[in-house]
Amino acid sequence: MATKEKEQELIRRLQDAVIHYKVAEAKKIAEETVASGADAYTVTMEGLAGGMEVVSEKFDSHEYFVPETLLCAKALYAALDVLKPHIKVQAGGTRGQVVLGVMQGDVHDLGKNIIKAIFEASGWTVHDLGRDVPLQKFVEEQLKTDSDIVMLSAMMTTSMVGIKKLIPMIKEKNPKVKIMIGGAPITEKTVEEYGADTTADNAPNALKEAMKMLDTLRRGKAA
Amino acid sequence: MNHTIIFQPSGRRGLVPEDTTILDAARRLGVGIEAVCGEQLVCGKCRVKIMEGSFPKEGITSSMAHLSGLDEKEIKVLKRKDSDENLRLACSTRIKGDVLVFVPEASRTGKQVVSKAAGKIRVSLKPAVRKFYVELPHPSLDDPLGDFERLEQALEEAHGLKKLRIDFRALQRLPDVLRRSDWKVTVTVWQKAEIIRVEAGKVETNIGLAVDIGTTTCAGYLTDLNTGEVIATESMMNPQVRYGEDVMSRITYCMLNEETGLRELQQTIIEGLNAMAKQASHKAGFTPEDISEMTLVGNTAMHHILLGINPEHMGVAPFTPALHQSVDIKADRFGIHILPAGNIHVLPIEAGFVGADNVGCLIADVPHKRKEITLLVDIGTNGELVLGNRDKLISCSCATGPALEGAQIEFGMRAAPGAIERVKIDPETKEPAYKVIGSNRWSDGEANMQAKGICGSAIIDVIAEMFRAGILRKNGQINMECDSKRVRKGEKGVAEYVLAWRHETSIDQDIVVNQKDVRAIQLAKGALYSGCLIMMRRLGLTQFDRLAVAGAFGSHIDKVAAMIIGMFPDCDLKKVKYIGNAAGDGARIALLNVDKRKEANEIARKVEYVELALEEDFNDRFGEAMQFPHMFDPFPHLAGILPPEVLNIEQHV
Repeated sequence: MATKEKEQELIRRLQDAVIHYKVAEAKKIAEETVASGADAYTVTMEGLAGGMEVVSEKFDSHEYFVPETLLCAKALYAALDVLKPHIKVQAGGTRGQVVLGVMQGDVHDLGKNIIKAIFEASGWTVHDLGRDVPLQKFVEEQLKTDSDIVMLSAMMTTSMVGIKKLIPMIKEKNPKVKIMIGGAPITEKTVEEYGADTTADNAPNALKEAMKMLDTLRRGKAA
Repeated sequence: MNHTIIFQPSGRRGLVPEDTTILDAARRLGVGIEAVCGEQLVCGKCRVKIMEGSFPKEGITSSMAHLSGLDEKEIKVLKRKDSDENLRLACSTRIKGDVLVFVPEASRTGKQVVSKAAGKIRVSLKPAVRKFYVELPHPSLDDPLGDFERLEQALEEAHGLKKLRIDFRALQRLPDVLRRSDWKVTVTVWQKAEIIRVEAGKVETNIGLAVDIGTTTCAGYLTDLNTGEVIATESMMNPQVRYGEDVMSRITYCMLNEETGLRELQQTIIEGLNAMAKQASHKAGFTPEDISEMTLVGNTAMHHILLGINPEHMGVAPFTPALHQSVDIKADRFGIHILPAGNIHVLPIEAGFVGADNVGCLIADVPHKRKEITLLVDIGTNGELVLGNRDKLISCSCATGPALEGAQIEFGMRAAPGAIERVKIDPETKEPAYKVIGSNRWSDGEANMQAKGICGSAIIDVIAEMFRAGILRKNGQINMECDSKRVRKGEKGVAEYVLAWRHETSIDQDIVVNQKDVRAIQLAKGALYSGCLIMMRRLGLTQFDRLAVAGAFGSHIDKVAAMIIGMFPDCDLKKVKYIGNAAGDGARIALLNVDKRKEANEIARKVEYVELALEEDFNDRFGEAMQFPHMFDPFPHLAGILPPEVLNIEQHV
């Protein structure tokens, strides 16, 4: 077992590697974590998620943009791939599940991939359907996984139009599920017009919105 | 119930049904109002002032109360801009009574400076349309042969033309024309196969119109088919602009208005073409009917909409066009007013997002016949690239979006009077000097330059200069540590650089470049650069021999500025050539030489289309290319222009 000090040191170094997108370094620290016997879950949550949180802040304050975020995500995955097999499954899990995908007719998945990294880093289970996803597939995947939130991405107005058709399809099967939409052409007005629950203009905001919705859902269940 | 709406300063007026939006009413009455965001309640550029009171001269009483109520979103957008009274957003405000609407200068779609001048082309004359003068023997009771057969015989004897068809519209007039002209006529023959016109006497005039339908601007070149000379050039805004600024928003318009959308858009461009044909022919002293043929280039969406083909399917993956090959169709089939039996030749298409305009560029620049490797970059509202030489050519489309042209930019505008078009920034003082379209002098920070906004060429200039002066970091972040009062946090806490102070403008506010604008440019130029890179990799190339920059807008870009921001890979700037509106040149070439039409069809099918988004590492390459000039790639040719530490080159001590 690694000492508390060692664990803290690993966490601090992993945060740093993610924030400064040192891919090889992140992988090395992850391996060191496993070898030292430190708790993989703690290191993941505090090191990786903690690091991505700082990345989100930098994105918000315009210090980072897409290129840096992509690289940070890369460092994140390099470490996560090593740590994941050693994380003991958390009963119940504190975070929720999302179905995520790019609309049919659209192959632009950069935004979706950043969302995925940030969500996974903060402990969400992400069911990634990829890009150019047929409408029915979203409905099926939501039912199969009983996910809390369906997140739809569209980068073109032409593929965005499909969201209008899809939302009633999902809500018909499961009225409680929350729907978040995002992508270049999407605005508050789209949310209202298409009957979605919310939108976010970047990944950190998407995470915040998702947390809020999850909160509402869980409170609803408790009541 | 109908209400009267009057627009000022244009003075256009009309009756519109209750609940029409002001923007729709403006469209119907031909009043140009900016609607950059496509009626999404985002850009706030369509704001108009509602005049209050009774206007007896106009015969109406106008009131804010004659409009649909304000909702929160509209208030939010309006607030962001300014607090002037009686302002509304034209896109979301519905008419409930008579109103007089003033369109402020900043909201007007100005008369654009369109510069799609005809370039020099070299092509041997072999037009599809030719004129033949013949004299026919008079008929008599001994020789009662029909008029058409008589003409046929004469044409065969005099010119060796055989087995001709005749268009029924020409046939309907044939008997009268022959008799009126004492059996001496000039016959217009298309493709040596069909008579499309018969004119009395000897007529030399043989003209055609080559048209480039751009997403934003259209250009027509009235061309003498006997000499190849351009006898009149006519340009205009694409009138479809009022339905959306870019291709995708117009396709979406068709999708959302299933019954009428496509027809409306088609009708709009045809009316535009008719106006163009009329003006061009009158300018040269002819009538539109004298135009015997028209050749057209345009991107795939413009092509489909013109032909009334639903563009929906080319607008979504896998982006399949309805057809690739060229189309020939009679002018009056769609109500295009040139010679009714005249032919409309629409050039072929390479792929969903590489259209007939790109084929036009190819037959004009002929990279497929060159030994040296050409990288052809056509920058319009979208960016199309072609790379290769006579052995192999590949193409791709980059989703640059319209940011490079000034859309999606806070103070972006089209190249119209009042637009800032050139920018220099002193790296020491961080003070800018700029030039405005319509004036020759450089700004000094004091004089009122009547500036209204920033056009595409200046956007690239200003970003490049901000980077060179250290106002922008390599990753695009505005450097708040700059010692200049021009670098500041804007109202919403977003960093910005003041390019023109309020007193230098005609819009009564500072013109700034903010962090979001920089991000939009980073995305656009990253798309272009990564496209170049992936194409070069595909062909196993590390460099190219010539970089041909096409497009009317392309010609206005400063090549040093373009390289500083990293729009394309590093190269010797001598390799950069501006080839002007090559798409339009291609349309002229096709008009003048039928062999070139064949070549266009062949090359359109030969160019291999690369779908960038499907490249496994596209997102990574795209991301890296968003930095200035690039995250990793070296830019040795910028040595001396930029500090060495941003050029990714090994530094020697």
